[in-house]
Amino acid sequence: MRRLSVPSVPLALILGSLLAFSATAVATHSNDQLTWAGLGGLIERMVALGIVALGQTFVILARSIDLSVAQVISVAAVMASFVMQGRVEMIGPAIALVLAISVVVGLANGLLVARARINPFIATLGVGLCLQGVLSAAFTDFAGSVPRGFQVLAYGSAGGVPLPILLLLLLTTLCWLVLEHTRFGAHLYAVGGNAEGARQAGIHTGRVLIAAHAVCSVLAGLAGLYLAARLRSGAPWIGRDGVYDLQSIAVAVIGGTLLSGGRGGVWGSFAGALLFATLDAMFTMLAVDPFFQQVLRGVVVIAAVAAYSSRSRLLVA
Amino acid sequence: MRGINKAFPGVRALDNVSFDCRAGEVHVICGENGAGKSTLIKVLGGIYAPDAGTVLIDGNPVRFGHPLEAREAGVGIIHQELSLLPNRTVAENLFLGREPTRYGLLDRAAMRRGARALLARLASPIDPDLPCGRLSIHEMQTVEIARALGLAARILVLDEPTAALDAAESERLLALVRRLRADGVALVYISHRMAEVMAVADRVTVLKDGRNVGTAPRAALSVPDIVRMMVGREVSEMYPAPLADASGEEVLRIERAGNGALSGIDLTVRAGEIVAVAGLEDSGKSLLTRAIFGDAPFTSGRVLLGGKPVVIDSPRRAAASGIGFLSEDRKGEGLALRQSVRDNALLTLRAFAPSLADAFAGALSARRADAVLRSADVRTAAYGGPVELLSGGNQQKTIIARWLTRAPRLLLFAEPTRGIDVAAKAGVYRAMRDYVAGGRAILMASSDLPEVIGVADRIVVMRAGRIAGELPAGVTEEQVMALAVGAALEEEPRAPA
Repeated sequence: MRRLSVPSVPLALILGSLLAFSATAVATHSNDQLTWAGLGGLIERMVALGIVALGQTFVILARSIDLSVAQVISVAAVMASFVMQGRVEMIGPAIALVLAISVVVGLANGLLVARARINPFIATLGVGLCLQGVLSAAFTDFAGSVPRGFQVLAYGSAGGVPLPILLLLLLTTLCWLVLEHTRFGAHLYAVGGNAEGARQAGIHTGRVLIAAHAVCSVLAGLAGLYLAARLRSGAPWIGRDGVYDLQSIAVAVIGGTLLSGGRGGVWGSFAGALLFATLDAMFTMLAVDPFFQQVLRGVVVIAAVAAYSSRSRLLVA
Repeated sequence: MRGINKAFPGVRALDNVSFDCRAGEVHVICGENGAGKSTLIKVLGGIYAPDAGTVLIDGNPVRFGHPLEAREAGVGIIHQELSLLPNRTVAENLFLGREPTRYGLLDRAAMRRGARALLARLASPIDPDLPCGRLSIHEMQTVEIARALGLAARILVLDEPTAALDAAESERLLALVRRLRADGVALVYISHRMAEVMAVADRVTVLKDGRNVGTAPRAALSVPDIVRMMVGREVSEMYPAPLADASGEEVLRIERAGNGALSGIDLTVRAGEIVAVAGLEDSGKSLLTRAIFGDAPFTSGRVLLGGKPVVIDSPRRAAASGIGFLSEDRKGEGLALRQSVRDNALLTLRAFAPSLADAFAGALSARRADAVLRSADVRTAAYGGPVELLSGGNQQKTIIARWLTRAPRLLLFAEPTRGIDVAAKAGVYRAMRDYVAGGRAILMASSDLPEVIGVADRIVVMRAGRIAGELPAGVTEEQVMALAVGAALEEEPRAPA
């Protein structure tokens, strides 16, 4: 009777992605892609987007949205490398500062949405614009650098498994645990599913929404830290150029999280990010024109949402 | 509740109303829409604070600043609009806001155990692991009641609980109410349905225009007494007489039509006729109206309008072919709630106007709208105000007015008087009879058996997506019911989810 803890949609997406990846590798004789290293490379591509999408999933489940994640990523990456300036002893303070900034941005988003009742689209877009403005005014290029010790986050491995992959799996599991097995998680689904019903059931809907935004921004901050480690330095455009805001929303939706809130989960978003990474890898192997790649990505997003909506229509009929 | 007063701008909603309910008692509140029933309930539930008067629970005066405080004092309210989360399980919904935890994590085993215990108290076999969206409306209500009991509610308010239920489900709900009464719960029961009131009430209070016009034991009242108190006059003829000869030419003929949910539909509707489609909640009677209107069209068979075969695959084509539709979900599908009464009345007319036409000029002018609204007897202070402020009866008449602008030959009418009070019902029935008198026809889907029998010239009974049979006017409720449930008077087992 018990529902599977990893529902069938993410599982199908993950298996399908891996299958498509292998098939393309075989077809293009890219045998190096079929090694553990090749597979690891595939998954590493999804780490930054995956982490952001986890956070995005939280706010979407609560029937909100966060368009400021790309700017939070840029701020986090720039502040990390600027504070570290290549010195190992500054790693701790830099991480603390980045997390503090992320929490503050998340709280600001949450307060605007939950207390000032500003449409989340507008509120987070505005916050993102402010962040980008401040950042662009203060930094024009790569700022500082991260020490070798910090780059371990992106290039190290433990027991043969690359650290970024472990990090993503760990965070996804943690988020899943929070959503499925804590009161906060249950209340998040309730607020997204029926805010008035949740309020009447005695849930502090505002606090839940604010917390969801804080979680989202912190995860975006972590993604920024990871990108700083990977790029060895942070620049004020890395979040924006990665289109992490819209891509994280697309990935969450592909994974089965409803934009209207109340249904979905982080494993779906994980699977969605994997699908995007797979597409990228396949495009590279098949040498697809970069502009056409964008078209195909767009088609995949629309097809995924269309599949969900036709499925739910079948359920209704 | 003693001497409760509550006024809104321009309206005195409650005027010195006193009301009491004892443990182990079912106290029914009757009254027309706008009589103050919901305001009284909202005061009890802490949603409104009274301007004057006192609420006492167990003899102690209480003041609620927030719905939560009322809940903590043991007041549970089951609203007409259910508030369950469709994507969450029964157990998750039952413990919403007070989930048990163990070591900081949700204790799902305890939730399931608690859910089973609560449902067992109501003798309900609902599986606590099912998502609530898969439950029937009756089952969802049961879950809401169980949730209130889980919060130790000793006063339970049911606001028109059977409005969306069919006869068999209503019977089960009444059994549940009796069970709760035996458990010592104080039940406040709001209903329009007289049969139900007589079946379940211990005492009856009638509200009219914000005043308590009488409280009496049920045994001392008859249905005409209650209706007279509600409307302040005799409603001698609830149902207008049908025309002497209602066998005009064929307006609609359906031959062996079907789609995913319906099959083998054969049906004719003649000019001057009101044909009722009766059946249980999931018999397909509302899907039939949607199929004819092209919302979920037929995929096989033939449809003839006025003798000519037509293919109707969208609501727009249906409206263009002379078919009108009134949804059973008035607020969700029928009305643009925030727009004005006038805009709502003009919705269909404008949909068929040339794209570049001025929305307020010529045939679409406010004067024309007002004339139609008046002819449909829509009563409100201002036709320019938002339609959401109107009573259910006036909202329904606004949609009738909308169709009057095009006067289609065939009107499909789903649950014409759902959530509408007795006096306004008679008005809707009169409007329906007037409508068909002009050579037009109405096909009405209804779960309200007295209405089916009182209004229809012919009754088509549906069961499991097929037409189970046809009955003439003048049959009894039992005869309709027997067809609706089939020869074996058993409920079909629910399809496993």
